[in-house]
Amino acid sequence: MTLRRRLTLVLALAVGLSGAALAAGSYFLVRHNLLSDSADSSIVQTRRNLDVAPHYRDTGKLVDAYKSRGDFFTVATLGGHTFLSSASVSLRSVPAGLRAIVDRGELGYERTTVAGDRFLVTGTPTANGTKLYFFFPENGVRHELSVLRNVLLGGVGILVLLAALAGVVLARSALRPVARASTAARSLAEGLLETRLPVEGRDEFGGWAQSFNEMAAALEAKIAALSAAQARERRFTADVAHELRTPLTALMGEASLLADQLDRMPRESRRPAELLIADVARLRRLVEDLMEISRFDAGAESVHAQEVDVAALVRATVQSRGWGDRVRLDGDGLRVTSDPRRLERIVANLVDNAFEHGGSTVSVRVGEGGIEVTDDGPGIPSEHLPHVFERFYKADVSRSGGGTGLGLAIARENALLLEARLEVASEPGAGSRFMLVLPVAEPLRNGDGDVA
Amino acid sequence: MLLVEDDASIREVATLGLEQSGLRVTAVGDGREGLDRFRQGDVDLVVLDVMLPSLDGFEVCREIRRESQAPIVMLTARSELHDVVVGLELGADDYVTKPFELPELVARVKAVLRRAAPTGDGGTINVAGLEIDPDGFTARKRGEELQLTATEFRLLLELARRPKQVFTRELLLELVWNYDYLGDSRLVDAAVQRLRAKVEDDPKQPALIKTVRGVGYRFAAGT
Repeated sequence: MTLRRRLTLVLALAVGLSGAALAAGSYFLVRHNLLSDSADSSIVQTRRNLDVAPHYRDTGKLVDAYKSRGDFFTVATLGGHTFLSSASVSLRSVPAGLRAIVDRGELGYERTTVAGDRFLVTGTPTANGTKLYFFFPENGVRHELSVLRNVLLGGVGILVLLAALAGVVLARSALRPVARASTAARSLAEGLLETRLPVEGRDEFGGWAQSFNEMAAALEAKIAALSAAQARERRFTADVAHELRTPLTALMGEASLLADQLDRMPRESRRPAELLIADVARLRRLVEDLMEISRFDAGAESVHAQEVDVAALVRATVQSRGWGDRVRLDGDGLRVTSDPRRLERIVANLVDNAFEHGGSTVSVRVGEGGIEVTDDGPGIPSEHLPHVFERFYKADVSRSGGGTGLGLAIARENALLLEARLEVASEPGAGSRFMLVLPVAEPLRNGDGDVA
Repeated sequence: MLLVEDDASIREVATLGLEQSGLRVTAVGDGREGLDRFRQGDVDLVVLDVMLPSLDGFEVCREIRRESQAPIVMLTARSELHDVVVGLELGADDYVTKPFELPELVARVKAVLRRAAPTGDGGTINVAGLEIDPDGFTARKRGEELQLTATEFRLLLELARRPKQVFTRELLLELVWNYDYLGDSRLVDAAVQRLRAKVEDDPKQPALIKTVRGVGYRFAAGT
């Protein structure tokens, strides 16, 4: 049950119970008063009747005189005779208890019902041995009481309804800050860091909203600081890569000129020159990878999509890098709409990575879902698998391969841009498999049998 | 040819490389100086860095295009994609991104020079009011000579030789720019824009060089 519903119920119950107690109390008080008033006046009348009794010798005359008063019925007994003022009552209507009291010579009264009508019956003996019983109708009193009861019941019902209504309204307004806080927390979680709560009043909710706002402000400041630091770091990387560009271009030109002269060099300078040329090439790859990853960080990369024959692209990628005899190609035709430069980059980086990590034979398979690059190297231990696409991540710290450490990270950035997924599976000792799963890959030829 | 590059090492090593491949190179390190040197004449091709002191590469390119159709190759940073587009729109024929391999620069320069040399194949083509002479390397529209760069002329020639055929950007990159694999299709788009500006009556509603959406371009003859 929600807190709001519980609050409503509790309020309605409390009001209902106290209302009912009050109503019942007043009902019984009024009832008691009414009934005792009625009894008192009946007894007064009875005494008055008793006062006139000695003036009548004949009991029949006496009863007729009582009858002329009209507001009560009379039953009188004398000897074995019974005198009645009305056919509505008889001696049998007189309660036995009352008769016993009168027989003892005392005045008494008792309430009874005769043919559905309520009466207060008084009884008294007279000096000449006549026993008088007077039936005072009490229907009026009873009716008044039942009206009162109904009014009180209705009143309590209305009170309970009003209390429930008030409970709903009160609970809602009391709990509004809670609802607002939970909405605010949700929008914070969704990244709207500027979300704040209105601080209303000096109550607990006001204090709470204040604390919430302080927390949100601290969170916002922290995240802003973090992303500013990250942006600075990325800017720095981009600047470094950019600044390296000019000396690197010069180095590459010089290495290229040197490479043409290797044959003519004396033996002792030839080897250093070869190493220099190789290291310039390594530096170039590193700077280019850094520049590329900086472009991704800056969000400066865009996709130039066109229709691509994936198998042809893979073949061209492999051949243009002189890997023709070391890479086995197979698979079906696959035509997708994608960016061929990025696809080429991904395939090249995956194959490069496979060679670098000890694969002697690498196979590239083009299938319905995308491209698969498999090697037979030592594989990747499972604890390293989740990290292989991280920048500069090395599964084996002692190993320093010829790669830049950015190849797989760049491949993944490219894949993300193409809305493709890059996955890895590996079995230590048996090799690794990288899969590029392209979005909505359509087979080139239909009717091959296993076309989805 | 003229090389305008502010970094002394790149300037020297590029000069060495280009000279080894048989070109005569004049190298300067400043945009203003480069423009002055170009105006003295005897320059068949300009290699132009974008970032230059006194007058940047774009300004130099714009000034040269104002007075000459000489081939221009820009040296740009690949991280500034914007530079490539601006350079091509200003009329550069091709670009090489830094860092580049020396053989790559030499190959690009030679490809541009080859484009600028008369082909000597085939006779004059008369089509849609145009008169294209591959030997004389001239194109006339209604008798009036058009001022086309070598790249624009080659592009017009390739398209007009086979009117109605649809050319993909890749094919045009191969035929005109000598890229055998994955050239930059923006080279084609920028050159087509410049060519339309010179050839079409209304470049915004091209009647001669039509775009085939999603594929490439074709020459609409006799319509």
